[in-house]
Amino acid sequence: MTLGSEVPLYEVRNASKHYGSVVALDDVSMKIHAGEVVGLVGDNGAGKSTLVKILSGAHQPTSGQVFLDGIERHWKSPQDALEAGVETLYQESGLAPHLSVSSNVFLGREEYVKGPLGKFGFLAQKKMDRIAHENLEKVGIAVPQSNRSISQLSGGQRQAVAIGRAVSWAKHVIILDEPTNHLGARQAKEVLQIIKNAKAQGLGVIFISHTLPHVLEITDRIVCLRLGKVVADAPTSTFDAEKLLGTITGLIDSK
Amino acid sequence: MNKVASRVKSAFGNQQVLLLTVLVVMVAFFTSRNSVFFSNAVFGNILSDWSPIVLIAIGETFVIISGGIDLSVGSTVGVSGVVGAITMEGMTNHHQGQNLTLVVGLLVTLGVGLLVGIINALMITKAKVVPFIATLVTMGAGAGLSIVFTGGDPIGGGPAKAISLSVPDFGPLSRPGLVVVIIIAALGIVLHKARFGRYTFAIGSNSFAARAAGINVNRHLAKVYILSSLLASCAGYYFYLRLGSGAPTSGQGGELQAIAAVVIGGAALSGGVGNFFGTALGALILTTVTSGLIIINVAANWDQVAVALLIAAAVLLQQYRNRVRK
Repeated sequence: MTLGSEVPLYEVRNASKHYGSVVALDDVSMKIHAGEVVGLVGDNGAGKSTLVKILSGAHQPTSGQVFLDGIERHWKSPQDALEAGVETLYQESGLAPHLSVSSNVFLGREEYVKGPLGKFGFLAQKKMDRIAHENLEKVGIAVPQSNRSISQLSGGQRQAVAIGRAVSWAKHVIILDEPTNHLGARQAKEVLQIIKNAKAQGLGVIFISHTLPHVLEITDRIVCLRLGKVVADAPTSTFDAEKLLGTITGLIDSK
Repeated sequence: MNKVASRVKSAFGNQQVLLLTVLVVMVAFFTSRNSVFFSNAVFGNILSDWSPIVLIAIGETFVIISGGIDLSVGSTVGVSGVVGAITMEGMTNHHQGQNLTLVVGLLVTLGVGLLVGIINALMITKAKVVPFIATLVTMGAGAGLSIVFTGGDPIGGGPAKAISLSVPDFGPLSRPGLVVVIIIAALGIVLHKARFGRYTFAIGSNSFAARAAGINVNRHLAKVYILSSLLASCAGYYFYLRLGSGAPTSGQGGELQAIAAVVIGGAALSGGVGNFFGTALGALILTTVTSGLIIINVAANWDQVAVALLIAAAVLLQQYRNRVRK
């Protein structure tokens, strides 16, 4: 693989983010290629969430640039990033618990009935139920009934729906913030399998997690943040659990 | 067979069947105490009382499902009706035609509703005032202005035709009543079958998720509050047609009746839950209790006690259901 020589799928260059006098991110650069899973790790307060918000379009960097497929982008909102094919799964649940599975899968992307009624926003619910089911199945999820509400599902099922939604819509990049949190071993394994499928489809995956065994298992490369700076960016094969933990905590200084 | 049953269940829901049962039991009870109750005249009266309440209650349903509250609807009914009445009185004094006067009066009344809605929307989405406080402000301002504009007395002197429109033409239903039914039915479809309703549920259920899905939450909420105020001004105009005058007291306490109807209808004040049939039936139960107690000669003050008990029952039922679900 000669990943390094290609134009990266998604790239952030020299990004800084200041909140008043607080520097949350300081001159951070990272790249991700198609079909690559990049792990983003760091202690609490290292700047992971801020970087995720910049990558997902929720926040604008104070300085620095974002490139998708080699073209500079200025996300004004998460909507901009979504439309360009960058999906984000947030740590706080991105699902509306009172809505059905398919309503959640299609939230913000509703299908409308044909004809004049559709222009008034009438929803093609059966069509959405069917496609939601197919899309989740394609991604590799044991699909709950599309018309059940999210609040009736177990935690693992909810997470599967959330990830399935993101993977099935993502055209280029998918950002997963702590996707295996609060999951049992078997459910976590299912989530990791979904990520492998996404990678095989040629998506770029950014995997943010505190669960280091999962990071070591699933990622191709690891980017480690500490105090708002990148302190390591290297192939996963160069890390073991001890070295990774040391890099995160700062006990090992890899730079 | 099972499939049909579950579809019927999901289409109509448990709460609505229960409300319908309560309604039937009430009608049977009041009729057994005084057979006069079971007549077109009484049903007509109940529907006349129901129409303005259900209008604001449907608006409140959207607001509550979105996770907010609108306390201003009652005083918006009053202030919009009063401003419309002043306009129509003036036009009549200047010998304008009755039809033109009624149309201009309608537009002015709705204009006041629109204005209140925009003020609410700006306070909530731009100034980030919590809905309870924002609409408390417009509630107080609206009620005060109604008195300022009128000196506290109803404004009549408009087109004589107005009140004649409110006779029951369609069974127990008057022409304005029929328009109300059409409006709320259309909004019921919008709530449950169209994007506008879907986004309203999504925002009330998890506004973070709605925003992450690319929904412009502030713009949608602005529309919801404007809809609520517009419906309140429709109720203001309805009162004008019914009474032939605009009174500052019309709609007084309407916000509480609307919220009661929505809660009895099965909505949760925490957002994300609620439905059209529940609210429509909730409002009908409230107005039936009021009329029924008068007809069986129970002192009017018991009405409020009965309403309070209904709300308590609805809330307890909801909590019981939530616990069963968990």
